[in-house]
Formats: sequence, structure tokens, C-alpha cells
Amino acid sequence: MRTTARAVVPIIFVVSASLFVEGHNLPGGGFIAGVLTTTAFAVLYLAFGLDFLERGVLGRDVEPGKEPSRDRIVTAYRRLFTIGLVIAVTSGLVPLLFDLPFLTQSYVELEGVPIYDHVELASALAFDLGVYCVVVGGLLTILSVVGAE
Amino acid sequence: MPVGTPSDLVIAPMLIVLVTAVLTLVLGRRPRARVGVSLVGGAGYVLAVTAIAWYVVLAPDAPGIATYQVADLPAPFGITLVADGLSAFMLTMVAAIGITSLVFSARTLPELDRRSYYFPLFHFLLLGVTGAFLTGDLFNLFVWFEVMLMASYIFVAYYGGAQHTRAAFWYVALNLLASAVFLLGVGGLYATTGTLNMADLARRLAEPAAYGIDPGPVVGLLALLLSVFAIKAGLVPFQFWIPTAYRSAPPQVTAVLAGASKKVGIYAILRLSFTIFAGAQVGVDLAVPGVGTVVAGTSPLAFVGAALFVMAAASILVGGIGAVGRSSLEGILAYSSIGQVGFIAVPVAIAATTTAPELRQLAIVAALVYALNHTLAKGLLFLSVGAVRSATGTSQLADLGGLAGRSPPLAIAFFVGSLALVGIPPLSGFFGKLLVFDAAARAGTMPVLVLLVGGSVLTIAYTTRTWNRSFWGTRTAAVSRATVDPVKIGVLLALTGTILAVGIGFEPVYEFADAAAAAALDVEGYVEAVDPADPDAAGGEQM
Repeated sequence: MRTTARAVVPIIFVVSASLFVEGHNLPGGGFIAGVLTTTAFAVLYLAFGLDFLERGVLGRDVEPGKEPSRDRIVTAYRRLFTIGLVIAVTSGLVPLLFDLPFLTQSYVELEGVPIYDHVELASALAFDLGVYCVVVGGLLTILSVVGAE
Repeated sequence: MPVGTPSDLVIAPMLIVLVTAVLTLVLGRRPRARVGVSLVGGAGYVLAVTAIAWYVVLAPDAPGIATYQVADLPAPFGITLVADGLSAFMLTMVAAIGITSLVFSARTLPELDRRSYYFPLFHFLLLGVTGAFLTGDLFNLFVWFEVMLMASYIFVAYYGGAQHTRAAFWYVALNLLASAVFLLGVGGLYATTGTLNMADLARRLAEPAAYGIDPGPVVGLLALLLSVFAIKAGLVPFQFWIPTAYRSAPPQVTAVLAGASKKVGIYAILRLSFTIFAGAQVGVDLAVPGVGTVVAGTSPLAFVGAALFVMAAASILVGGIGAVGRSSLEGILAYSSIGQVGFIAVPVAIAATTTAPELRQLAIVAALVYALNHTLAKGLLFLSVGAVRSATGTSQLADLGGLAGRSPPLAIAFFVGSLALVGIPPLSGFFGKLLVFDAAARAGTMPVLVLLVGGSVLTIAYTTRTWNRSFWGTRTAAVSRATVDPVKIGVLLALTGTILAVGIGFEPVYEFADAAAAAALDVEGYVEAVDPADPDAAGGEQM
């Protein structure tokens, strides 16, 4: 299980990142990338236990047997959820400043970028980032709190 | 689309509640700021709704309807928001009960709860209701239903405490099932007609041949959707979730659930039946084995009318009889809600059955005025119960008595709320009842009139019993110790004043309701305002 997790988790992260980036033109986007990222965390939790992220990755001390919702990482998940919501709503409101309807999107094409040569930078990405944060934050809060019970 | 036109107003209430919800979430650690932002947001919402009602519907040069294309994508591809008379009327109702309940919440919640997710959830609940009233897209309607339900799940499950967990579980399970059925109906409609934009649907169903559609399955799909909306509205036989859910949620939230969320069900039935499906020509021939043909006609409305008649009649009886036997204030009011929604559904059924345009419009006006009265009166009563409960610590009839002597203003509020439910002039309830009876009399159906009279007698029975048991009689220990918060009394009296004002100055309210009913029936105007592009004619260049 742990060996598989070591191999699979990085792949999931990469795939979710690619889904996130190409979301506005191809199947993908913030929501599905967020869900995929969460599954990577779920695999980590299953393989290494609930405290692994805080103790093993972040190097914090964890007192066993405390309430899960008081965990610092859960607070971080919650904050991610709120930040995501703020990003999504703000990105929707920005077009109003330019006399355009709510949620109107635009894009800039960047030429001459190394390796890719041609990259489309869409404003939808900001909204997607918000959605991504909401999904990851929300699902991980649920997963870690319910998982601990 | 320049800023500042009626078109921008359409999205204003939604943006205000959305931003308020997010801000209250961000301000989680500062309870006072959170309450402040919440109240400012509520006031902004009321302003935005008033602006919509005035500039879109009531002003002398008002266009009557305004649309907003989210993200500048043209209909039917993008999401259209539409504010017409019907939406504006519903929103006004929601704004009235929403701000009252918000002020009440700010006074009721203990410090601990102000730190929790109460206010963000409250605004998300409002957002869901507002979105449902404004959207012009069937799938988007589904999304707003979900937003509304997500918030209400938490209110019912979390605030109900451990003993109500079971009730909350049933509530969630039933609504998830309803959502699945809703999705099934929406999917079926898309498969049948190829669009989900309401205006586009109305246009295609009116002339199916031009669009190569077979409207045959539409009646069945409409039945699916109707059952979903009947669950939301709490019509019999889908009423069973109401008493437990209304008992579990905090009273000030129940006021919004009964006053606003329920009306979303009514609104969806009105919008779907009269704006979208009215033009469809489908042979309806519903036969019950052994009885013969029960319903026959050429419009899906014939089916809607028949189904609603049965459900409304059962609701009035179940709600009225159930309310007479309850032992707690919330229980009585919850059953009363079931009965009252029956009173709203009867004129809707009359409107669906009749073919005379005047009667149809009159019946919808009756339904709307009655819905308005129910929102105000039931909101007032639920808030009064909240005041009683936080003052005495109980809402059981057995533990209450002599409240009238202890707090006369509270008694006045409850008394007026009860009388408005019964329908005594000069309160708003009188005109609601009058119009419903008028519509029933003009439709010339004796059994309906008998049913309405019977329902009214039941209403008198349970309101009298509640009043006698809790406000009159000997003062109990719980009541003697009670002191009621003056701000809450102020809020209750303001709502009482509104009920009186609606009853006394009924003329403008009637005109507003009349404009709303006209908007609900004006299919052509609706289609024209949204003006969905025709993908076939446009040669797919917009895709």
C-alpha cells in the first residue's frame, strides 16, 4: 500500500495540475482537478494514517487522542476553503469594473514562452483556482474530520 | 451592457447576498463585525429587491421584464437571469421575511453561535432562493435548489441537536431523492426538446413541428418535475418531512424555510406550468382502470390542474386536522403550513384547469396574494414562537399559559398573525381568502368551495386552541419567569404592522400581484425579452 502510494500520489498531482490548466478549453477545470487532488490526499491518509501529514511532512508534534477538528491542518483546510471562495467571487466581480457582465472571461496569448512556445493565459483560470481551493479545502475538511471519528 | 440599467439590477440581489455570505465567512473570528456585515448585507438585499420591483415592474415607464446574460454568453447557451413581475413579487416576499429573520437572528444567537457558520449559511440560503426566482434556465434552477438545500440541511441537522438527527437524516434522504428525480426530469426534457433555456423551451414546445420535436413525453416529464416541486412546497402526499424539519431548525430559520423556501416550490410550479408548458399541445388522456377517463384535454395544464386539485385538497385536510392535535407550537405551525400551501395550490389548480384567460389570471393573483399572506403571517408566528421559546425555554402547550398578561406586545403579534391566517379583515389574510373563494366560485365547482370552507373552519379551530392554551389561562411557572427581548418585540411589531398595512392599503399590493400574474401568463413577452438565438438558424456560428 505504501509503496503504491509513493508511486501513485505524484502522478495524481501531475494529472490534476494538467486538468486544472487546460480546463477552460478541454475537459477539466478547477472542480475535477480539486477532486483529483483530494483523492491523492485520501491515498496518503489511507496508506500512512491521519497524522502523517502533520508529523511526517510538516514536522509538527501531534498529541494523540485530541479532537480532530482542532487540528492545525484542518484549520488550514478551512482557510483554503474560505480563500477559494473569495478568489472565485472576486474574479467574477472584476468584469463589472470594465462594464461587462458578471463572470465574463477573457484571455491573453503569450508568445515565445520556452518549451511551450505559445500559451493562452485565460482569466477563467482565476475562477478555476478559486473553485479548486474550495473543492480541496472543503473535501479535505470533511475527509479528515469524518475520517477521524 | 452598461452598468446602471435595469438589466444590471437583475443580478444585484444575488451578488449582494453572495458577497455578504463570503464576507461573513472571512470574518469568522470577529463576531460583532460579522453580525454588522450580515445586517448591512440584508439591508442591501432589501434595497436591491425594491429597486427591481420599482424599476422593472411598478414604475410608470417600467419595461416589465429585464434580462441579464451571465458572462455575456447569448441565450440559450449562457445562463440567463430574468426578472419579471412574478420574480419581483416573490423576491419582495423573501426580502421582507429575510431581513426580519436576520435582525431576529442577530438578537437570538448566543455568542458561541455567532462564531459558527450561522450567518454565512443564512446568506447562502437566501442566495439559493434568490437564484431560483431569477434564473431563466432549468438546469440552473436545479443548481439553486441545491444551494438552498445544502444550507437548509445544516440548519435542520446541526441546530436540531442529537434528538433530531433521525429527522434530519430523513430530510436529507428525501431531498436527495427529489434532486435525483429533478435531474431525471431535466435530462428528459433536454433529450426531448434539445434545450434547457426556459424561453427557448416555451418557444419550442409551442410549435414542436418547426423544431422537429415530439412533445409526447412532455406530460410525463412535467409530472416528474411537479412531484419534485410538490416535495419542496410540502404538498400532501409529500408533506411528511415538514413537521420534523420545522421542529429541528431554529425558529427564525423556520420562518425563512416556511416563508421563502416553500414558495420556491410554488414559484417553480407557476413558472413551469404557465410560462413554459402552457403553449404545448399534447393530448392528455389519463384513464384509471375501472373508473374510465379521469383527465382529458389538449394541454399538459389539464394534467397539472387535476394533480394539484387532489394534492391541495389532501393538504388542506391533513394540515388542518394534524394541526388541531399537536402539542407544541412548532408542531401546530408546521401542520398549519401544510394546510396553507393547500390553500395556495387550489387557485393554481383552478388556473391550470380553466381556459378562460380572465379567470386564469384572477386565480394566479389569488394564489400570489395568499402566498404573500402566508409568508408574512407564518413568518410572524414562527418568530413569535422563537421569542416565546427563548423567553420561557419551552414551546410545549402544556408548559405555557397566561403569556398574554406577561407580555402584551408579544400577544398582539401572535394574535394578529393568527387572525391573518384565519383571514379576518382588515388583515392581509382577508384578501387572500377572498380572492381564493372568488376564484373558486367563478370556476363554479361546489366541492372546492366546501373544501375551502372546511379548511377555514379547521384553521379557526387550531388557532383558537393555540391561543387559549398558551396566551390565556393561568400563568405557568415557565411564563412567570420569562422576559422578552425588546428588540425582538420591535421586530415582531414591525411585521405585524406590515400585515396590517398590506390589508389596509391593499390596492398597490393587488396591482403588483396582478402584474406578477400577467407576467406569469405572458409567454410571448418572456420569450421576446430573453430572445434565445436559434442554433439551427445561426448555423452553429455561436458555438
